[in-house]
Amino acid sequence: MPNLRRPHAHLWAVAVLTAIAVFALAVPMLTGADPRLTDFAAAYQGPSSSHWFGTDPAGRDLFVRTAAGLRVSLVIAAVCAVTSAVLGLAVGVAAGALGGWVDRTVMRLVDGINALPHLLLGIVIVALYPGNLAAIVASIALTHWTQVARIARAEVRAARSATYIEAARLSGATRTRVTVTHLVPAAAGQGIVAVILLLPHAIWHESTLSFLGLGLPPDQASLGTLLQDARAAVLTGAWWTLLFPAAALVITTLAVAAAGAALRDRITPPLPERAIR
Amino acid sequence: MSLHAHHITAGHHPGTPVLTDVTLTIPAGSIVGLTGPSGSGKTTLARVLTGLHTPQQGDVTLDDELLFTAAPGAVAMLFQSPRQAVTGRWTLGRIIAEPLHGRRGRADTVRAAAARVGLTGDLLARRPHQVSDGQLQRACLARALVQRPRYLICDEMTSMLDPATTAALTTVITEETRSGLGVLAISHHHGLLEVWADHVIAWA
Amino acid sequence: MTIPALTLDGLTVRIPTASGTVHAASEVDLTLRAGQVHALVGESGCGKSVVGAAICGLLPTAATVSGGIALHRPGSADVHLEAARPRTWRKIRGRRIAWIPQSAATYLTPVRTVGEQLAETCRHLDSPHTPAVLLTRVGLEPTVAGLYPHELSGGMAQRAAIAFALAGDPQVIVADEPTSNLDPELTDHTLRLLRAAADAGAAVLLISHDLDTLPAHTDRVAVMYASRIVETGPTADVFADPWHPYTRDLLAALPSGGLHPIPGMPPVLTDLPGDCVYHQRRPAPGFSGGPTHIAQHGDRSVRRLIGAAS
Repeated sequence: MPNLRRPHAHLWAVAVLTAIAVFALAVPMLTGADPRLTDFAAAYQGPSSSHWFGTDPAGRDLFVRTAAGLRVSLVIAAVCAVTSAVLGLAVGVAAGALGGWVDRTVMRLVDGINALPHLLLGIVIVALYPGNLAAIVASIALTHWTQVARIARAEVRAARSATYIEAARLSGATRTRVTVTHLVPAAAGQGIVAVILLLPHAIWHESTLSFLGLGLPPDQASLGTLLQDARAAVLTGAWWTLLFPAAALVITTLAVAAAGAALRDRITPPLPERAIR
Repeated sequence: MSLHAHHITAGHHPGTPVLTDVTLTIPAGSIVGLTGPSGSGKTTLARVLTGLHTPQQGDVTLDDELLFTAAPGAVAMLFQSPRQAVTGRWTLGRIIAEPLHGRRGRADTVRAAAARVGLTGDLLARRPHQVSDGQLQRACLARALVQRPRYLICDEMTSMLDPATTAALTTVITEETRSGLGVLAISHHHGLLEVWADHVIAWA
Repeated sequence: MTIPALTLDGLTVRIPTASGTVHAASEVDLTLRAGQVHALVGESGCGKSVVGAAICGLLPTAATVSGGIALHRPGSADVHLEAARPRTWRKIRGRRIAWIPQSAATYLTPVRTVGEQLAETCRHLDSPHTPAVLLTRVGLEPTVAGLYPHELSGGMAQRAAIAFALAGDPQVIVADEPTSNLDPELTDHTLRLLRAAADAGAAVLLISHDLDTLPAHTDRVAVMYASRIVETGPTADVFADPWHPYTRDLLAALPSGGLHPIPGMPPVLTDLPGDCVYHQRRPAPGFSGGPTHIAQHGDRSVRRLIGAAS
């Protein structure tokens, strides 16, 4: 049901996300500038008309680098979303619908993955394949799908014992039909919300890996590598090297979280309108 | 032609059955009333007759063939709480159309069924949370009619309804029995069953 | 003549929603007297629950209330509730006006026992009664105090709800469809409990659509259609000789009246026109179809067209 106090909260979130996506995608394409291009003569310059976000210690333009970094983060988030959604929903619905030993086995596996500190798991994977973007993406996707599976399974189990499922069976629907028309939508609703809500964490996860030096190589732009560069640079007074990447990270994660929360509010089955009896 | 429960013993735990050796017949074209105190197993019997619950002993025959070999949808049920018997995300129109599974001519069938139970066209576009329990139970009856069942089990279907809606729904169901529908009406409202049912079984 | 405990005078409740303004109650006049059980009946969607909610101060915040709700007590000033602030309601709810909800079990906290919650209520209301006494009064074993809400059957939960309502010795008790899911024996027991509460001095408003049970257990009845009261009077008299066409049709829909359905459906309460609309559903010459007023005849009243012959 809509949030009556701030009915348009989701519009702000969507607007901000759209602006971020445009920024991340359009800037590198339109300017054609290479985010790795160094120009030591222009190093350590604050925001100016030629460098809107200033430059970093190697003279790279931060406007372009921040945009490129955001693009990396958004790509990682998108891949993580799709993987988690597909894997999580499939496993969760199967476990919930089939029950019995399938359910038990699958959920022990999920619990096992959840029990491992996922950052540690991510570090192990990227340590095995250093500098490999696919490994970084995999390390994030493989550790986050389990939350979606859990939620999907819970929704399916709750729906299965509902009277309306019995009514559907009595109307002549086969088990497959009941699963497809009732159980999957029940799981998908909350499942999609779970996917969106784990994205800020996925973005943060990549940033952390890069910040620790385990993710992308330092000359490639990602929010994490930008923040690592800023660690040293900010001590010399170059505040802009920290501000813009950090702001990008915070605004993106907040906007995604707000959009996810708004979506969850909209698809939660509404309570009967304060029944007038 | 009847729906016949034959020496049914059923329950939720193996050692303590709720029903013991129960036999009951619902002839086609008639309304059989069943009344009794809470806990006497009426709902369990309803679930056994529809195939939702497997009895420990005994079997159910529909027109002389075993229930599980009969066509799906031959026995329909109306539940006590209409709100729990419908999907909250669907419109009433879609809820009523569910038994049709995408066959052609859906819209006309749905509209005809809705008109029979007294639902106006504009209500078909609403969702369950926007309508009252009485209107929802009408939609559930329309859904059951669309299915063209041979037998209908009403499990306390009027307990949440006001007298006018009760009268409306019972009238429609009585009309349907003239076309051969057999009905088991479970209710703790003796007075209603005495007027509505053709004969009443009272469990102690 | 018993003293009035609560008077509704032209109570009108409007609730704005996304699809229009809901006319939940229009010009409702009702008097609840100490020692009487007053029934309020109508089809689902007529607004009777809203009247109960207004008396208990449980309307949604967006609702606008006009007209008067006056709580009387001999020897002190009337309390006007139609515009009361939360501070006033805190002193009134539970102590002077109590509410018995429909599905009682859902109103209890699931993680605490019935006894703990009842003791907390008694403490909060400075009740002279103990939980054990209240439970016995409603016919429950004192051992029920150790049970959790999910362990209660429907009938036990309903009786527990009455115990909660009686804790503060209220002047007015509003019972919202307390018997709708109960079997005849429990229905009878619940209604007798309400009668006992009335005999002890409370004014009871029983909102119900279970018409068959009313003549034996209530003193007066008010019939509501589409947010308006159309008839009031002593229950036995109204049932034996209904004046308003809607009351007649409603009684004819009962099994005892022949199970005659009323054609059509009650109107949705959104953006209702300004007067009784029963004529749109069934012919009601003299009673609907123009401006109406409440005509009083002794202890009965009926809504009829202004100027129509009696």
